[in-house]
Amino acid sequence: MVKAQINPGKARWLEVLGVSMPLCLSYIPIGLACGILLHAAGFNFIMILIVSIVVFSGGAQFILASLLTINAPLSSIFLTLFFLELRYALLGSSLSKYIKSESQHFIWLFAVSMNDENYAINYLKFATDKKWTPKDALMVEHYSLISWSVANMVGGLIGSAISINLEVVDFALTALFLYMIVMQVQSHLTLVISILSAILAVVFMVLTKSIIGVIIATLIASFIGFLIENTVRRRSKHPESNWFLTKLFRPKITRTTVEDQQERQQLAAVKKQLEDQEQSQNK
Amino acid sequence: MEQLFSNLPVLVAHTGQNKILYHLVVIIFAAFAAFIPRYFPVLFFSTRHIPEWFNEWMKYVPVSLFTALVVKNIFITTAGYRFVPFGHVEQILAAVIVMVVAYFTRSMSMSVIAGLVGVWLLSLVV
Repeated sequence: MVKAQINPGKARWLEVLGVSMPLCLSYIPIGLACGILLHAAGFNFIMILIVSIVVFSGGAQFILASLLTINAPLSSIFLTLFFLELRYALLGSSLSKYIKSESQHFIWLFAVSMNDENYAINYLKFATDKKWTPKDALMVEHYSLISWSVANMVGGLIGSAISINLEVVDFALTALFLYMIVMQVQSHLTLVISILSAILAVVFMVLTKSIIGVIIATLIASFIGFLIENTVRRRSKHPESNWFLTKLFRPKITRTTVEDQQERQQLAAVKKQLEDQEQSQNK
Repeated sequence: MEQLFSNLPVLVAHTGQNKILYHLVVIIFAAFAAFIPRYFPVLFFSTRHIPEWFNEWMKYVPVSLFTALVVKNIFITTAGYRFVPFGHVEQILAAVIVMVVAYFTRSMSMSVIAGLVGVWLLSLVV
């Protein structure tokens, strides 16, 4: 099982930098775009640097820029951002099991520099790579934070010099989310839940006339996903071959998660125990 | 801390002319809005045992959330939160391109760049 390391002397920080490189690179165009939008909203480049460090969220900063341009009151800026950022409550609690044993200070640091994209990388890494440590995860967050805030500041500096179609720039965020959806959809059930969430999102956003519709749709859709999986696992005799839980056809994806492996090991151990018991009873 | 908050409305009221101070206040509010939902749930669940059902539920959160946000960006107007199925045809087509690229390459930067180029070219045509 143990892979021979090609370069055992290779520093860990370089390895982690390699993992986060695609993310850092794709932050550059989005960060530039965000900086340009914030500059158009009246922020100077130092403010843009500060806001991109303390908020560190593409979606929130794009919305902040548009709220500032329409002179929205402070209270609605706060509330809109708060509801938008509420999703991190869900993302954070799904990662918390991996960083349980760390110090309070570490948890604080980890939480403030978490966002959608580095969450996606860290979640995938924690789930598929046994050697992935919380320290590596924090490093990914900091690399992405540096690339994001520098790109934002540069965007703020060049914002006055060039003019770009802002609607095209805005699409970078959508593309990023789409990529992450495609990476997440592995079983038929996730596809069903994704479609369900799309429908619920439209219904609740039109009903509530606010971003909170996204939160409601997310909570309901994910809960239904959980209910379906739970029911299938309990009722069906062969849950793994049930239509909902079988994997979608994908090119070159055969990854099993660490959880899957652990589950299999536990099953094997229980089986062995039972066999041993039977043998000793027969004697 | 309490004093700071009770003085804030006064502070903001006097910043009509002083843009930088107002922006600083906005940043402080934005920082709190970003910090509270990130920190407290992680803190709460890292010191307590997480129930199994909660973990299973959280498994489906990312995919639901990302889908909802994409739907918001493509099909919902920013002004009045109205549903416009074909308001951004070029974005719908570019979204399909992104999904195909993501499916086959599994590369984030490739997907984003394909999406940006796609939406730019399509916006010239559509």
